[in-house]
Amino acid sequence: MRLMSEKRLDRFRLVEGRGELLAMVALILVVVVLPISVLGYQFVLRPALADVRTIDVMAAAPEAGGFQPDAIRVAAGETVRLRFSVPDVPHGIAIGPGLDLDLGHVDPGQVKEVDVTFPEPGRYTFYCNSWCSPNHWRMRGTIEVYDPQTPEALPASDGPDPVLESLTARGVDIDAPHETPMPPHGRPSAARGVDVVKQMGELPAVLTAPEWRRTLSPAKAWEALVTAGLSQAEAWDAVAYLWLAEMDAERLKRASTLYAKNCAACHGEAGDGQGVAARSLDQHADMNMLEEPVAFNNPSTMLGGSGEIYYAKLRRGGMGTGMPSFGPIFTPDETWMLVDYLWAFVFDLDPNQGP
Amino acid sequence: MKRDRLLSLAPFVGLALVILLIPLPLTVKPVTHVVTMTADQFAFDPPVLRVNYGDRVRLTLQATDVVHGFYLDGYGIETRVEPGISQQIEFVADQIGKYRFRCSVSCGTLHPFMIGELVVNPNLTFARAVGLTAVILAGTLFYLRRFPPREPREHTTA
Repeated sequence: MRLMSEKRLDRFRLVEGRGELLAMVALILVVVVLPISVLGYQFVLRPALADVRTIDVMAAAPEAGGFQPDAIRVAAGETVRLRFSVPDVPHGIAIGPGLDLDLGHVDPGQVKEVDVTFPEPGRYTFYCNSWCSPNHWRMRGTIEVYDPQTPEALPASDGPDPVLESLTARGVDIDAPHETPMPPHGRPSAARGVDVVKQMGELPAVLTAPEWRRTLSPAKAWEALVTAGLSQAEAWDAVAYLWLAEMDAERLKRASTLYAKNCAACHGEAGDGQGVAARSLDQHADMNMLEEPVAFNNPSTMLGGSGEIYYAKLRRGGMGTGMPSFGPIFTPDETWMLVDYLWAFVFDLDPNQGP
Repeated sequence: MKRDRLLSLAPFVGLALVILLIPLPLTVKPVTHVVTMTADQFAFDPPVLRVNYGDRVRLTLQATDVVHGFYLDGYGIETRVEPGISQQIEFVADQIGKYRFRCSVSCGTLHPFMIGELVVNPNLTFARAVGLTAVILAGTLFYLRRFPPREPREHTTA
């Protein structure tokens, strides 16, 4: 008996041929069409349909690679959408300096995006502003804004900082120690200093020179005041008043926010150099954290330095001490604000100025 | 006979009822605990807070490495702590028992295990449970000693 009729066998052969064809089609679909459509959508169709160029930035701790990518090129006037996500620990994302662009914290699993337009060519920094590792401050990326007319040209840099230039020109070594031989006993008070200065009438010449608050150290001013006839304690009170005179509540508040976000982890919330990150300093000897953070509430080390020296250290960094350079992040005004804020760790503010 | 047996247990039943129902005084004079707690990967230090009912807890939280959170079960207190910006929390321990606090910000690989506990004493339920267990144990031992179970008859196959 035959197992299959001739007709059924034919049909079977036909099906077999069709099956091969189907398998071939399926194979092509899986191996060729699927990847092309997925990748094509992601890298061709989606960017073509999007109204703005989107740049995905993965923000990992510096040990895990930092920002990826860490350099972004944008044409002046072009709007880009920066989309930040985080793989490891919470980070804070901000773009600066002077842009007032703070996205706040991005936690693992969260995505935050921002549309930015840079009208002028130049360089900007996107950075982490929430302590994320001993190397936190290294977590930075640059945004290069080029002129669309000349896309090949490098954006003009801002030029050297005039304060740092002038210090170099005068041969001032900003890393030299500046101890005060005669630090005040107790805390000088700006409130008491107001009256001292009022009674004094005319101030010594060094305190009327242009930019004196920035170029003169409080210790030098104190010497001049004592020479002019004040008692030692009165002279310190007068110095406290003079150095804090430009602080108002608003600047104080902004400066204290900047301090808390950027400085307090190492230098301590009370300015005593005992910040939480300083506690584990010995564990990170390999990480260029070579020196203990400076205590801002120590008058004998603080008062011998002038404002411009602290300004320069802030912007340039500590050169091997573990102090980061904040030049690419802070505007000059923000830096001065922080320098002024440092004096409030050694001098008592007038309560009327208070925050 | 059977009645005797039950009656012999009466003191234990009485004791158990006393343990279950007696209103114990809660009034230890409340104090304020001022605690600085550090949060680092992946533990709180101190990991256990022991306080008495009614005590005030003034907690200063410091994160030392990355951003951490603090969420206290039962009290519903939550805060986020960045290194360099310590946070103050103040609450009155008005719920008795053991409550977990945990990190509420995904802070790294072992984040789910970053847990500590707040123990608010006197934990009466726990104390009653311990007392009750002891009484039941004592009662059982007493009963078995007084009325030993009969030896099972030996089955001989001879």
